[in-house]
Amino acid sequence: MSPAKLRKMEVRIKKIKKAAEELKELSGGIQAVDRNASRILASVKMLEINISDILDIS
Amino acid sequence: MTRKTKGAEYYWNPIVETLPMEKMRQLQLNKFKKIVQWAYDRSKFHRKLYQEAGLEPGDIKTYEDVSKVPKVEKAMMRDIQRKDPFPYGDALCVPLEEVTEFRQTSGTTGTPVYQPDTWQDWEWWAECWAYLLYAQGYRNTDRVFLPFGYNIFVAFWAGHYAAEKIGCEVVPGGVLDTEARILKIQELKATAMMATPTYVLGMADTAKKKLGIDPAKDLTVRKITCAGEPGASIPSTKQRMEEAWNAKVYDHVGATEIGAWGFECTAQPGGLHVNEALFLTQLEDIETGEIIEEPERRGKIVITALDRIAQPCIRFDSKDVAEWSKDPCPCGRTFRIIKGGVVGRADDITKIKGVLIAPSAIEEVVRSIKGLSNEFEIVVTKKGDLDDISLKIELLPEAEGNREAILNQLKDQLRLKTNLGYNIEVHPYNSLPRYEVKAKRFKDLRKHG
Repeated sequence: MSPAKLRKMEVRIKKIKKAAEELKELSGGIQAVDRNASRILASVKMLEINISDILDIS
Repeated sequence: MTRKTKGAEYYWNPIVETLPMEKMRQLQLNKFKKIVQWAYDRSKFHRKLYQEAGLEPGDIKTYEDVSKVPKVEKAMMRDIQRKDPFPYGDALCVPLEEVTEFRQTSGTTGTPVYQPDTWQDWEWWAECWAYLLYAQGYRNTDRVFLPFGYNIFVAFWAGHYAAEKIGCEVVPGGVLDTEARILKIQELKATAMMATPTYVLGMADTAKKKLGIDPAKDLTVRKITCAGEPGASIPSTKQRMEEAWNAKVYDHVGATEIGAWGFECTAQPGGLHVNEALFLTQLEDIETGEIIEEPERRGKIVITALDRIAQPCIRFDSKDVAEWSKDPCPCGRTFRIIKGGVVGRADDITKIKGVLIAPSAIEEVVRSIKGLSNEFEIVVTKKGDLDDISLKIELLPEAEGNREAILNQLKDQLRLKTNLGYNIEVHPYNSLPRYEVKAKRFKDLRKHG
């Protein structure tokens, strides 16, 4: 896979992460939002492991 | 053997699974530095361990520096646990509120060790298993049956979640007994299964003898993933399972404190790939501690889970004995291979009558002989100053007529493959203990006087 495509993916991973973090900020403590956003962030971490971390060495 | 990269759909993650070795080392070093810093900043246990060794995380600059980091042994984890933050003690690197999963080790080598995981760690566990199941051919067309007791042992829990992640349909066969599990596999036409080798063979036995079902003909399971015992990497045991089920049997290796770190792929290269994307694995000479890079020299596995955060696993002394393979795998993965899987435990590999032996070598012989049942037991005792080794076996009822020939074959093969003479005890069929999970077939009574 080309580095350009990897970088495009990384941009989107960062966007998902930012959106999930913002959801938690906006939730006002609504658990249904906080906990589901936390689960999204755990999945985002797997995307980072599989994609973003590779870019650190490219 | 040659290595040729396959199409992207062949791998769970084609980028890391085919990464050139120098890039892999760089990736591992980056991640290793991060996890050491993480543990140093958050865990009193790790900070004290490193400070006593005169090590700061910033001292790790090259791949070779990894070996400067002190190892952690299971006994050390036992010592710090059952204290605050209860029950994990001060290796815990996250607030207790972030721990969502509890599991514990099986306790086969002593007091169980507790393992806390965050939800992110649990996702990571499933990710480890997704790499291995995908490499073993699991796809979203599979109906996967899990015949294990969903309980406090990690066992196949992550296999369940990984199969879901891949898109398989997962059937949890938790509280059903063996017969009910077999009937459910038949009813649902399950295509894959995960179990210990002992249980895979035991299920086939039960299916035939109690239900009149021949798994090879009457069931549709065509791939089986094993764990918990080395059997699926022992050729004769693997062959027995494959013939009994008419299925491909794949091995995997992991541990509660570590994660699922090695797997056999569909190319079955005679060993297990180490998942180098998620683990930094070193092989150490058992006597000198020297790092072994060359193939075909045995050492013990010292391993780091690079992304596990609640209770990090950094340079964990697994006691698993293995050797690197010199051959690349035709599957195209650059992940290194441990030849023949884990060949034993440093604790179990022992000198008997002056000969260094792993119990798996005896299993390989017993399971290779037709006419013997799947069960056996090895008992080592001391008679005066001399070691005495007994091998308890069972003859299959239909093999009684060939008793003498079978026993002679067994003795010859044992002498040839292990350089030892044994007291062979033939026990009535079905009288040796049967196991559902981890079998205890090796008893060294010399250590207990």
